[in-house]
Amino acid sequence: MKFTKKKLDSEIFTGSMADITFLLIIFFMLTMAFSSNRGMDFALPEDTTSAPEISQEESVDVLVLPGPVAGPPVIQVDGRSMPINQLLPYVADKLKQNPRKPVILRTDPGAVYGNMIAVFDELRQAETKVGIKIETISIPTQREIENIWTMLGIGP
Amino acid sequence: MIIARGRTLKTEARVFTGSMADIIFLLIIFFVITYKVEVDKTKMELPDTAVRVAIPESDKPAWISVASRSEGYLIRVSTGEEMSLPIGTDEELVTFASTEVARDPEKDFIIKADQEVPYERFDAVLDALKQSKVKNIYLLSDQKTVE
Repeated sequence: MKFTKKKLDSEIFTGSMADITFLLIIFFMLTMAFSSNRGMDFALPEDTTSAPEISQEESVDVLVLPGPVAGPPVIQVDGRSMPINQLLPYVADKLKQNPRKPVILRTDPGAVYGNMIAVFDELRQAETKVGIKIETISIPTQREIENIWTMLGIGP
Repeated sequence: MIIARGRTLKTEARVFTGSMADIIFLLIIFFVITYKVEVDKTKMELPDTAVRVAIPESDKPAWISVASRSEGYLIRVSTGEEMSLPIGTDEELVTFASTEVARDPEKDFIIKADQEVPYERFDAVLDALKQSKVKNIYLLSDQKTVE
């Protein structure tokens, strides 16, 4: 009598691999953040303990007043009301006399964050819109403004 | 001569799935490499700007978010490694920022604020960062569309 040896296939069951891998793909697709974060960069001065050396006379003073969030921001430039589209030509004219002239961007506490960002964005586009780069855009905080006023002995 | 009639050649209808594992593993590797955990998931309406630079995320910048009015302008902070946590006072914000700057003096900070946040709240955040000697901040924004 002849015995035949039964051959056993050595095989790893991979039937559920597709389920597991698809599950992993779905998990990563749902949890990953596709959009990279973008925004406006802003470098702060190195030392803020001492009072800033910029004085209002030798700078362009932009004051953002409370205004609509969606509409054009309401601004005062060097104490005069001005539409936002005239801001850059005015600043460019000032910078032609002194290219290092800083722009101080102050915001009324009653305004909203979006108002300030709209004006800051406009100032940052100076190079593309009017061909002049603003070297320094300073955003003083309310505490710093009060310190300057106290130092100069004037009220707001 | 006998001719076998009616015998048809059987062909199995099979889709070749041998390369499926390769494709799936390639996709998994892609997702694992590009996977990025969102440390702050506060939903808000960001301001729109035309100038937008990519925020370098290799050094894991710290996050400060100021929520919308519906959430009471709540401030949340994150070191960039953990999920953001709410904080109560401006002093806590100074402590947080100072600790991060002490750990890494070149640490970048991202401010994510709703466009309708009163400027006073943003001013308090900015003041806290200035007091903590933060060097670089990024103001998160959405792309402004051409009107």
